[in-house]
Amino acid sequence: MKAVAALPAPLERTLGSLLHYGTYIASLVIALGLALSFGSNPAGQRIAGVGIALFIVLPVARVGTMLIFFLRTRDYRFSAIAALVLGIIVISYVVGAR
Amino acid sequence: MQIGLESWLFAVALGTSLLGGVLGMASGIFIVPILTMFGRIDIHTAIGASLISVIACSCGGAAPFLKERLTNVRLAVLLETATTSGALCGVFLAGLIPTAYLYCIFALILLLSAQQMLSRRKESIVPAGASASSSIGVGAWAALRLDATYPETPEREVRYAVQRLPLGMALMYGAGLISALLGIGSGVLKIPAMDSALRLPIKVSSATSNFMIGVTAAAGAAAYFARGEIVTSVAAPIALGSVLGAVLGARILMRVPNEKLRLMFVGILLLLALQMMFAALGIHLFGAAS
Repeated sequence: MKAVAALPAPLERTLGSLLHYGTYIASLVIALGLALSFGSNPAGQRIAGVGIALFIVLPVARVGTMLIFFLRTRDYRFSAIAALVLGIIVISYVVGAR
Repeated sequence: MQIGLESWLFAVALGTSLLGGVLGMASGIFIVPILTMFGRIDIHTAIGASLISVIACSCGGAAPFLKERLTNVRLAVLLETATTSGALCGVFLAGLIPTAYLYCIFALILLLSAQQMLSRRKESIVPAGASASSSIGVGAWAALRLDATYPETPEREVRYAVQRLPLGMALMYGAGLISALLGIGSGVLKIPAMDSALRLPIKVSSATSNFMIGVTAAAGAAAYFARGEIVTSVAAPIALGSVLGAVLGARILMRVPNEKLRLMFVGILLLLALQMMFAALGIHLFGAAS
């Protein structure tokens, strides 16, 4: 029970920025795609699709960032845990693609 | 290109996400029932679109929690091994379970959410060190360094210990399975797992649950995406509407008493559950003649 300056730790700050700006970019890409398809531009749907793919990749990038952080701090137990999460997501994609 | 349908989808996502934000409740649970019941959209397409919306809301809302150090990121990534494994299993099952059963399971989850909304969450944290003598206490997971502190108020730093990790992991597996199967964030299952099994402070469990929901939904969405079950014309307006609704919801101060809103939400949840139940039996109350 001690007073601590409320500064976020580096990992938390990095993850916060990644998710914040990632959401921003993916949303903008989807908005652009929808705007184009309202103007019956054939590229609109494809661009919106890229935005959707960005949203799926964003949490994966978040786990990847954590993996890099754990490796750098030589926390190999948690590096393995983060790698396992990444591996399961990849398996899910491969299973779906078959 | 049906501009009418896209605008409707956008409005649905915006509205549910706005309302959900006011009560601090995930709105993902409303998207599939509304899309299938009122929009007559195929349930797998609705689930795919809902998963994208769940990811968007989780990622979009994570930054403030992380900045305030409410999110326990180590615990989150550990529990994600369980939620993503569950999601993998859910992806398998989604292809096998007949649509009528999917409607049934969804109705049950809606009822569970309504019940949870009515009962208040209890704080049952164990201060670190207090239970070190018990067999399920702090010592068991010391090597994982999961215990942490969080700012209860800006001046008061509180230390908490993670309890009953195996039970928490098992519940998280179930939450991940339901998430991928129904296209929801499964906050309804994650929150009790964190509150009563892991015994986390409410602020920490809300923040950590929100943080994990994105990865869990991504594990499900990856398979739906690869299968071609994420339809851009449905998912794109839903995702955009959800993000905008969440942003606006955080800014709008509601003048309606919270208690009334809560009861209204419970009512909506019960109605949707009833409808999903009817749909499972092949009876459509709305838009029947299509």
